[in-house]
Amino acid sequence: MRTFIYLAMIMVLSLFLPAMGAAEGDYTFNLSETEKKPYHFGGYLEFKPVLFGLDHDSAFYKLRYFNDPQGQTLSELNGRVQLEGSYERDIYSLYVKTNTDLKYSDYGGSSEHSVFYEAYGSLKPSPSLKVEAGKKTMKWGKGYAWNPAAFVDRPKDPDEPELALEGFIMATADYIKSFDGPLKTFSFTPVLLPVYDHINDAFGNNNKLNFAGRFYFLLYDTDIDLTFMTGGSRSDRYGMDFSRNITTNFEIHGEYAYIRNARKTVLDESGNMNAVESDAQSYLAGIRHLTASDLTTIVEYYHNGTGFSDDELKNYFASVNRAYNIYQSTGNVTALMDGGYGRFSAGRDYLYVRLSQKEPFDILYFTPALTLIMNLDDQSYSLTPELLYTGFTNWELRFRTAFLVGGRSTEFGEKQNDYRVEFRVGYYF
Amino acid sequence: MLKTIIVVLSLLVALPVYALDGTALLKQIDRNLNPESFEMYRKLINVEPDGKKKEYTLFSVKKGVDKVAALFIAPASEKGRSTLRLGENMWFYIPNVGKPIRITSLQSVVGGVFNNSDILQLDYTAEYDVEKVEEKGGEYLLFLKAKTKTVAYDRLKIWADKGKLLPTKIECLTEANMLIKTLYFKDHKDFGGGIVRPAVVETDSPLFKGYKSVLIYAKVKQRTFKDEVFTLTFMPNLESLR
Repeated sequence: MRTFIYLAMIMVLSLFLPAMGAAEGDYTFNLSETEKKPYHFGGYLEFKPVLFGLDHDSAFYKLRYFNDPQGQTLSELNGRVQLEGSYERDIYSLYVKTNTDLKYSDYGGSSEHSVFYEAYGSLKPSPSLKVEAGKKTMKWGKGYAWNPAAFVDRPKDPDEPELALEGFIMATADYIKSFDGPLKTFSFTPVLLPVYDHINDAFGNNNKLNFAGRFYFLLYDTDIDLTFMTGGSRSDRYGMDFSRNITTNFEIHGEYAYIRNARKTVLDESGNMNAVESDAQSYLAGIRHLTASDLTTIVEYYHNGTGFSDDELKNYFASVNRAYNIYQSTGNVTALMDGGYGRFSAGRDYLYVRLSQKEPFDILYFTPALTLIMNLDDQSYSLTPELLYTGFTNWELRFRTAFLVGGRSTEFGEKQNDYRVEFRVGYYF
Repeated sequence: MLKTIIVVLSLLVALPVYALDGTALLKQIDRNLNPESFEMYRKLINVEPDGKKKEYTLFSVKKGVDKVAALFIAPASEKGRSTLRLGENMWFYIPNVGKPIRITSLQSVVGGVFNNSDILQLDYTAEYDVEKVEEKGGEYLLFLKAKTKTVAYDRLKIWADKGKLLPTKIECLTEANMLIKTLYFKDHKDFGGGIVRPAVVETDSPLFKGYKSVLIYAKVKQRTFKDEVFTLTFMPNLESLR
């Protein structure tokens, strides 16, 4: 708790810094701002109190709080400290980014988790060639909420697709070539991703050296990527994506992934676990549109070929309810497990719609938005209105409420919360 | 008869050659504003009606008529973000999000009156045809029409100083001649290397009443780049050019 007080004090003190700067003279450009130093240090502080409205009848509530029932609401204080530093000399550079998550709640007490998000060295002998080694994120794909063709990245949270993610340890390179004509750019990005004890061991099967790659083409004003991964830690997979502006304010994009021998564990109607292996195809189609009044609309349809069908999800929720009843009568907890059903986008077919209106009523730096994420198979959804203000230099204030709506045995209906209210204060330095 | 011939010849010599060729005049204005391939620093200031300001510092590079990239170096919340324009294609890279996303010319990545096409301005001759040129005292008035529908403004009216062949004011208009914004070019400055151009560009808009945005130019200098600098794959590395 004391950590949160220090974090809050630093952020409040920092609030006055931009105000002091704003009082200075008109239109000055101090050239010292343009001088480049070989090193850089910066970071991001975040304070985020959250109020959860709990759904006591939901499967995930029972899974999490089966032995410690909660009230109607649960409050939580979250903090985040991200530090980044870099050093550059000639063609060599180093980059490090750390992330510390802090959490305090009456239920779970306080916790802290720190990790290097990225830490890698770069060699840039020319604008056409770059070689990097260390822990880093690649972030392939063109989708906003989902990226089925991003084979060497951790999955995004579609509820927060712009959050920084933790990378994997890898060696990679970029080779770029520009041309005149319909093909303007070609680039190739090979990736070596080792999985051994203590090295990327959460990625997949151990003692494997995986090879992945991306070919990028800017062809007829269309971005096209071809991606692949092989090596054994995960089953072999191949993908492609594209993005193109149809008009100045209308963009279309898509992604496709073919996954050979995709494995998952499903529960049948009796609650028996079965390992299933089959080829899977995931794909995404999306648009981004901007009106003259600065209303941005993002719409994406996502088919998750490795996800659980409506029936498989229903079997799982039924199994959780059976296990919960057994626990209540016998105290046996062994049947209660998540099994991957609680991950982001565990189902098969989704719709994502985000409407964001930039600077309505001439209020500069103010952006209200509304986001819908719907499981198309069971018609459950989350609806998230939010208000974002970035008018104070280096500050970001966001207020959002998420409503999770759905019947019993539906994905969003069985989440542990009915609603969530949060206020996020972020400060960059 | 001889007198008449002398008078006519004198008038022909006295008339500026550009009055006959608006495209050549616009090309010269382009070159006087910037070398064809160059780097520069800019400070962008958004001013709200109550005087409150928000500032951004950008490092920009340009090559040829249709390749331009800009990197945000301040404030901390924007540092590392970059924008790239290849002709009519525009992308925006946010380090956290990782992959460059396509953006549009009318959008504004910084808020305020300047939009993306103002920040990633190509040569005017790359996007516009000159419909006609008028002389207004010490200035030319060029009437420009966009070559394609994908250009941010359908029409431009450029007032240019006759002597310096540099713009003093530009009105950005819709197809129906509705004013979207006005750019005011001020404070001529010698940046060295033969580059003398306005160091300040102010803009206001009837669509943003009371708001104003200002661009201040610094360290404008000629520099050549490889084409590979202006690619999506290179966007995260623009800092290495500084």
